[in-house]
Amino acid sequence: MFCENCGARVTDGGSFCAACGSRVKHEAAAPPMPAPAMPAPHAPPALVVHTAATKCSWCGAAIDAAIANCPRCGAALNLHGAVTRSGWAELPGRKDMAKLQFGNSFCQIEGKYVPVADMNLAPEDSVYFAHHVLLWKDPEVNITTMSLTGGWKRLLAGMPLIMTQAQGPGHIAFSKDDPGELIPVPLQPRQSLDVREHLFLAATGHVQYDWNQTGIWFRTRSGNDTETHYPVGMFMDRFSAPQTPGLLLLHAGGNVFVRDLPPGQNILVKPTALIFKDPAVQMHLHFERPSSMFSSWGYWSNRYLWLRLIGPGRVAVQSVFERLEGEGGNISSFSYATEQRW
Amino acid sequence: MTDATHIPAGESLERLQCQWCQSMNEKAALACRACGAPLDIRNLVSESGWREAPRIRDMTEIHFSSSTCQVEGEIVPAAEINLGPGDSIFFEHHVMLWKDENVPMTILQLAGGMKRAFAGMPFIISVATGPGRIAFSRDATGELVVLPLHPGMELDVREHAFLLCSHQIGYSFVRIKGLTNILFGGQGMYMDRFITTGAPGLLILHGYGNVFERQLRPGESIMVEPGAFLYKDSSVTMQVEFQKLGTGFFGGTNMSLARMTGPGRVGIQSMYVHHRSE
Repeated sequence: MFCENCGARVTDGGSFCAACGSRVKHEAAAPPMPAPAMPAPHAPPALVVHTAATKCSWCGAAIDAAIANCPRCGAALNLHGAVTRSGWAELPGRKDMAKLQFGNSFCQIEGKYVPVADMNLAPEDSVYFAHHVLLWKDPEVNITTMSLTGGWKRLLAGMPLIMTQAQGPGHIAFSKDDPGELIPVPLQPRQSLDVREHLFLAATGHVQYDWNQTGIWFRTRSGNDTETHYPVGMFMDRFSAPQTPGLLLLHAGGNVFVRDLPPGQNILVKPTALIFKDPAVQMHLHFERPSSMFSSWGYWSNRYLWLRLIGPGRVAVQSVFERLEGEGGNISSFSYATEQRW
Repeated sequence: MTDATHIPAGESLERLQCQWCQSMNEKAALACRACGAPLDIRNLVSESGWREAPRIRDMTEIHFSSSTCQVEGEIVPAAEINLGPGDSIFFEHHVMLWKDENVPMTILQLAGGMKRAFAGMPFIISVATGPGRIAFSRDATGELVVLPLHPGMELDVREHAFLLCSHQIGYSFVRIKGLTNILFGGQGMYMDRFITTGAPGLLILHGYGNVFERQLRPGESIMVEPGAFLYKDSSVTMQVEFQKLGTGFFGGTNMSLARMTGPGRVGIQSMYVHHRSE
């Protein structure tokens, strides 16, 4: 028989898995080896929420203590969330093939390096996504362009960012061209999240999309040329669940770390490492440089440029980030910033 | 020992069948002798029927003919081949990682003399002959897909995705005409074709990201992003279809998807980095 948690073979009669240490549930008869590559018989059970015995540490959903994965976000509940001494929580361990539920639909997250979100859409459910993340779909699933008000008129790597929508029933799967992690963010009613642009993978049809200017910029001057840089992007995506809960899927490069900032607490992060923040979290630029240098901002190209995040609320960062453009240039003007000289 | 499925006389017949390549293994084995798949871990099959390529444990050894292949590393795994005398393997020049100095190399003679170049070098298939060691890897995070080929098998593989192939297998490539102008800005797209002759052989691919395989029933179709296609049985047909996306607002962009129709296996990768022939 096999361990429910990690899939390792367990010796008959053993109570714990030798590979991961989780308790083994004994079945009446061990199932025979599953036939390879055969689709499992499909009968999605309704999500039964028993007396809430525990809470998912990642998304806060109340869940039955007997199950192994949070049905809202797929986090493995029997694994201790890794939290660094400084307070960053790693994205919770997720069992390969973990299954999430939204509406009457399901999403399975498959793979380790470049995970795939494999959606099984119920007839009444839909998802929307940027068209370049589509990996495969059933021929029956219809794809249409979303009618959007101006907001999607933004550019992704010089190409128009087209938002497409898929309506159930059927299977459709998404992945991004980047080794990293897939971040399921269940949104509770009236919850919103600000996401740095281009990290969005897919969202359920109920999730509303809006965008704001970040208001974070600096200008560099070289001769007579002035260039404006947006270290966290010119725009930030805002996803909200109005009345019904929704599921938002993001993809970030490398590993993902989250922390909950108490009111007034600050943290400085690399601007391009930001993944998301609660709307209550404020942000602005922060410069650091040695005091021995000339007083002008422009003189020293080796300054540090930070993004200051101020609580209350959650913030998430990724360990792989793009190079910050213009950081070493002569900065002539900038949005509100603080400065520290050593 | 030339055949992984061969059972020596006098041994216990209690055997374990590898769920990835169907080879028989000793009951106590932890990894399949022929493809390296862990035997003590259950298959991961999604509800939609995609099966994850087995994650080969670091340092697993795979046996073919009188040679072995050790799989090293997990993020960008390297395949280190210890070639037995008389065994040879063929590969593309861009996947070579290191070799013993005295391993002889030759060029595989290809029929047709088609003009095909890759990364500024003429497209050539090199052959290394044992005894000696030679190792291969590719340029991005991914998984090794080990496909022992049995007589009668015919496999089509995305161009430049194969890492190495043992000499018993016949190699050719086909130009996909239909896809040409649509997908890759007018550049040709080739597909490598591997055909077994009389003897079994070993084919190792490198897929970007994670690799999934699905068995299509006769007539069953699946729409796949063309960049995600990794391999298929030659019995599976592949046709590109478009969907016009967008209103006049965006000027209209086409999205192309490959319709793959069974019967046979289809392998996909969850990330793609397209390298094309020139």
